Amino acid sequence: MTAVTDATAAAESEAFPPDVVFRVKDLDCYYGSHRAVRYVTMDVREREITAMIGPSGCGKTTVLRCFNRMNDLIEGARATGTLLFRGVNLYDSRVDPVEVRRRVGMVFQKPNPFPKSIFDNVAYGPRIAGAVPKRELPDIVEASLRRAALFDEVKDRLKDSAIGLSGGQQQRLCIARAIATSPDVLLMDEPCSALDPISTAHIEELMHTLKEEYTIVIVTHNMQQAARISDRTAFYTAEVDSETNVRYGLLVEFDTTEKIFSNPSDERTENYVTGRFG
Amino acid sequence: MVESLRKPFADQLEEIRNELVRMAGVLIEAIPRCTEALLASDLAAAQEIIDADDVLDDASLALEHHCHQLLALQQPTAGDLRAIMAALTINYEIERSGDLVENIAKAMRRVYGTEFGPRLRGLIAQMSEEATRLMRFAVDAYADGNSGLAAALDDIDDRLDRLNHQCLAMIVGEEGPEMGEMASRVQLALIARYYERIGDHAVNIGERVRYMVDGWRPPQSEEATAESRAGSTAGTDGGGSGG
Repeated sequence: MTAVTDATAAAESEAFPPDVVFRVKDLDCYYGSHRAVRYVTMDVREREITAMIGPSGCGKTTVLRCFNRMNDLIEGARATGTLLFRGVNLYDSRVDPVEVRRRVGMVFQKPNPFPKSIFDNVAYGPRIAGAVPKRELPDIVEASLRRAALFDEVKDRLKDSAIGLSGGQQQRLCIARAIATSPDVLLMDEPCSALDPISTAHIEELMHTLKEEYTIVIVTHNMQQAARISDRTAFYTAEVDSETNVRYGLLVEFDTTEKIFSNPSDERTENYVTGRFG
Repeated sequence: MVESLRKPFADQLEEIRNELVRMAGVLIEAIPRCTEALLASDLAAAQEIIDADDVLDDASLALEHHCHQLLALQQPTAGDLRAIMAALTINYEIERSGDLVENIAKAMRRVYGTEFGPRLRGLIAQMSEEATRLMRFAVDAYADGNSGLAAALDDIDDRLDRLNHQCLAMIVGEEGPEMGEMASRVQLALIARYYERIGDHAVNIGERVRYMVDGWRPPQSEEATAESRAGSTAGTDGGGSGG
């Protein structure tokens, strides 16, 4: 990310806790004039898995997409409030969104490999970043595939098309592609919803390993998945604005995953995780 | 009104609660009946009580299986998870208390023929009443989700502990020899101890109710343990509500 050099920002940065990757405070997200997500305040901590759960339309994916400014690509989308990445305001005009996305990688719901070879998929990021000598690419590709627990399955067919891989392998390839640029954070938007239970178990095990090196934020509809893999859980819900009669999402409760699933503080969380509505 | 999206699961949780309350009802009725048999030296009634405990044991195993099923198949969370965890332990406390009632009936056969003086009879009757009352409060607290009542059980149990000490003092004191052989006196001491233990199980149920309702857990640190040791009255009761 472009360094913000003014004195205030530097001072803020110094005081910023080193184990906090993202600090979100009173974040509101707008689509045009619609304030779609409100009152989001949470810290994402280093080398933890933070899960965001909640019903459809609660804003969890919108917030996830703020973390690497993916919402910039949607016309009329903007965010207000504080969103600090390593102490730096992510929405500062001097911050380069492309650099943000290199440091904050993303894995999507449906595996989306490029119609290229397995090798080229993983080498894509380092190549366009341009900072890597060509001869080092094979090492980077192998290391990334190994970290994504895919190398042994594909080592003899790196030149084959990625489209020929199974869904679970494609998703691990996408994870390898995301980590090939050495990001700081991995964002995952329902990474297992298109996968069978065994592939899901592979990805979950992989996330557990990746946590040693990366900070992970995951959006999932599968509450048991959030319970199994995450350290902290944010519960979002959707409510209707009493004045405008429009639905909006909000963060209800953010705590350790054990607390959310064993003794949540907010009744709305309790009702959601136990499958009640009122 | 909050409704469950998982109606069958919610119904099963309700069933577990009702079954546990029913089991507790059986236990609460058995305590005074057992005391009556003891004080009347009624061997037939004692045998009935001993046989009846099998019913409670079977119900306990069935309830444990039911809880196990829900844990394995329904992935309960939050309040539902706490309700099942609480039911499992409360189930144990009730089953164990049933065993203690059976123990009293068995001990009564061993002291058959021993004359109880009026003071000892009075103390036993009081202990029985206290144990029954504590167990009734514990089950009310469970059925109503009343964590205030649950938290009060530990203090209410002090009275039963005092009665137990009085009973023991009598057995080892001047009146002891009038109660017959040493073997009979040991059995009497055990009987008193069984009532006192039922009170402890009621206190344990109270703790589980608090866990179920508020997520409260007993303090675990070494200081808390040391404090509770220092706080418990000295003597032969072997310590508080620890279980």
